[in-house]
Amino acid sequence: MIVEIVSAGLVVSACLAIFFDEAIYSVAALAGTLMLTALLFALNGAYYAGIFQFAVGIGTLSILFLSGEMLSEKPLTKTKLSSSVAVGVLGAVLSLPAIFFTIYTPTPPTNFVSFGDALWNFDAVDVVLQGLVILTVAVGISIVLYQRKKNNVPKLKEAT
Amino acid sequence: MDYVILSMVMLAIGVYGLLTKRHLVKLFISIELIATAATLNFVMLGMNGLGVSQAYLILAFSTDTAVSAVILALLVIVSKKYGTSDISKIVPSIETEKTEESNEAGK
Repeated sequence: MIVEIVSAGLVVSACLAIFFDEAIYSVAALAGTLMLTALLFALNGAYYAGIFQFAVGIGTLSILFLSGEMLSEKPLTKTKLSSSVAVGVLGAVLSLPAIFFTIYTPTPPTNFVSFGDALWNFDAVDVVLQGLVILTVAVGISIVLYQRKKNNVPKLKEAT
Repeated sequence: MDYVILSMVMLAIGVYGLLTKRHLVKLFISIELIATAATLNFVMLGMNGLGVSQAYLILAFSTDTAVSAVILALLVIVSKKYGTSDISKIVPSIETEKTEESNEAGK
């Protein structure tokens, strides 16, 4: 029951984050979304994911509160309470399919790997990070070569 | 409780915000919602091999945070340059700048 309430709150706060005219209120609603996501992870037993989500969410929100205040002009019209409530109800309705319906997904054979094993014994992150480093190097080299080529073209023309 | 549907609803809300809103901060919030939907789907589908999905989640979070930082920096630069954070006012001024530049190059 708690999971269903948290899921409904997640969708409602996401709807409100999009709906509010004032940037600060939108960021406050986004804070609710991120914190409820962290709670949902923890309720489903993914404690590490919940902690990461919480930490990343706090950082993002603190920056967003500052930049939201800095970037936004004052809106000409204020958001009405009745329309906010209506959007909240819409969000609650939107969360109903997730609570009452299910999509068939074939369950893969259970292959439980602990978080520590995945990180240190199977090098889960290391493999992807190496791939990312190689990709970044490749992109960087291609950009440098492109810039050199672009800069050399006028010089060659001048020489000829 | 089906988390695939939940994440699809979140994704739909994010895409709706991305398509309809004109304020830069709202666009950023929409991108955050899409990222949250992807993370939710990723973690909940990987519940069988719980550790692996959470280990990859660290990478997803760090990438997401880096992307957010770059987007925020760009937003601040753009809003300072054009004096507004409304994208419907920024785009015409960029087009005007481009035509002025092409006219100058033509001369």
